[in-house]
Amino acid sequence: MHHYSCVKIAAGAVVCVESEIRGDVTIGPRTVVHPKARIIAEAGPIVIGEGNLIEEQALIINGYPENITPESVVEPKTMTIGMNNVFEVGCVSQALKIGDNNVIESKADVGRNVILTSGCIIGAFCQVNTCEVIPENTVIYGSGCMRRVQTEKPQPQTLQLDFLMKILPNYHHLKKTVKAGHNV
Amino acid sequence: MASLLQPDRVVYLVRGEKRIRTPLSQLYFCRYCSELRSLECVSHEVDSHYCPSCLENMPSAEAKLKKNRCANCFDCPCCMHTLSTRATNIPAPLPDDPTKTAMKKAYYLACGFCRWTSRDVGMADKSVASGGWQEPENPHTQRINKLIEYYQQLAHREKQDRDRKKLARRRQCMPLAFSEKYGLGTRLQRQRSGAPISSLSGLSLKEGEDQKEITIEPAQALDEVEPLPEDCYTRPISLPEVTTLRQRLLQPDFQPAGASQLHPRHKHLLMKRSLRCRKCEHNLSKPEFNPTSIKFKIQLVAVSYIPEVRIMSIPNLRNMKESQVLLTLTNPVENITHVTLAACEDEDPDDINSTAKIMVPSKELVLAGKDAAAEYDELAEPQDFQDDPDVVAFRKSNKIGFFIKVIPQKEEDADVTVSFKIRHDFRNLAAPARQNEEAGDVVAEAIWLTHHVELRLGPLAP
Repeated sequence: MHHYSCVKIAAGAVVCVESEIRGDVTIGPRTVVHPKARIIAEAGPIVIGEGNLIEEQALIINGYPENITPESVVEPKTMTIGMNNVFEVGCVSQALKIGDNNVIESKADVGRNVILTSGCIIGAFCQVNTCEVIPENTVIYGSGCMRRVQTEKPQPQTLQLDFLMKILPNYHHLKKTVKAGHNV
Repeated sequence: MASLLQPDRVVYLVRGEKRIRTPLSQLYFCRYCSELRSLECVSHEVDSHYCPSCLENMPSAEAKLKKNRCANCFDCPCCMHTLSTRATNIPAPLPDDPTKTAMKKAYYLACGFCRWTSRDVGMADKSVASGGWQEPENPHTQRINKLIEYYQQLAHREKQDRDRKKLARRRQCMPLAFSEKYGLGTRLQRQRSGAPISSLSGLSLKEGEDQKEITIEPAQALDEVEPLPEDCYTRPISLPEVTTLRQRLLQPDFQPAGASQLHPRHKHLLMKRSLRCRKCEHNLSKPEFNPTSIKFKIQLVAVSYIPEVRIMSIPNLRNMKESQVLLTLTNPVENITHVTLAACEDEDPDDINSTAKIMVPSKELVLAGKDAAAEYDELAEPQDFQDDPDVVAFRKSNKIGFFIKVIPQKEEDADVTVSFKIRHDFRNLAAPARQNEEAGDVVAEAIWLTHHVELRLGPLAP
């Protein structure tokens, strides 16, 4: 399935040239995408909201499910990512629906059938590939993926985002802003 | 790195009270008894207490008073990680002028691993960074303290009665002064570490009277127990609210069943210990006092005295077929060591695990000394050892590789085990050596030590 390879980057987003963005991806304002981050929209478009922080070697992929035959037709599903999420270094996210204020810590692996609501924290190196909706404010931590509920959502990383939006352009070239509805 | 070296495949036998088989890296060597010692045949003594997160040293008396917990650091009640103090700015009214608000710093405790905060259990933010946090009071503290005092007094009194009886008996064979002079008293005292030394010398019949008699009331058994709540069976369980057994038992005072009552506790202190050989009472391992230092004042570990055998390569092992296994032998000391290997005889009481026959080289192997400066010394000639190429595969400074022949005896063997004896010469530099009166230089006597080594070579090739 060939999609228009158009990447729509809103004004105010900082997307480094060294990041790899493929497919139909929309990035909202005030989002920072670090170099070596990979956002791959294979089996459908990806829509990323505003205020998100996608760190190095993070992989956000809307890929085909594993066990399909080449002839079967897979309907393209849109992957939606909300606001103020943090994708830390080296994480892999295939979740189709991510809400707001979530944190996916380093080297965590979120499967395709997981739906993150808001305020969830997936701890470092935790692999969550169940088929469920993670309730709000859940923290998944530890080698056994223990869970607990915290009383408040994690703070949005506004300070960090402001700092990065000032500093990253000094050291990296940025991808040009492309308004939605404009094919490159 | 330890898993890469696989040290647990080569075990040495320790002949202590128990026969223990452990890798050489976990053993100690008493150079006064010239024997290997493991952790189970030495006595452990506490050197000092320290907090693992702030590395603060604490004398033992203070540690006992604080129940072996640090005063500054806290543990997360949820995941037992160390809590860190975080600050937020909150607007607070100024004390002089209630209408204006200024930003004041408020501190709370937070865990970096499971994201637990002190606000989760309802602890208010404190205005000081450290020292403001209190552990909750145990409602039974008073009763427990009273019970402890009473039993301490009882134990003290019983100990005095026992001492009086013992001394009365010994007085018949030798006077009181002798026991103190020849140090018998100290041996007895060491075994009962709480006994005061003065109890032996200053005995009087009147001492029971000047201590206050403490009485306790016996515990009362209740007939009625608090009934379970009515909705006990019908109320749905909220799993995040239920504490795990581990979280509950870490706080034995309260053992809260609900996560909203889990309060943080002060961090446990760790201790530095020194090891002492039980036979000759010499110290085998004595760490430095400073908690930030990992060095040792005395470090008599086995790897620095005994040649170490390591498995280098194992070919495919087949049942009843001879294969050659390549082992390495490393010399830890600075002088030349001569090593002889011998297969275990039949009916050897130490040889219980081997499942294969082994043929070791019969010639004596010579190991060069460990020379730290050898790599920098370009003019040094390589020592010529006349190695038999059938036996010695390679030689590199203080290490040689040699072949042994293994014939697995059991079919369907999951782990082929072989054992042999290694005999080497050991120069004891600790013991006073006989001085050569004419030449004046000290030559240490060489004694021959024999160790039993077992190797686990893995499964047979399919």
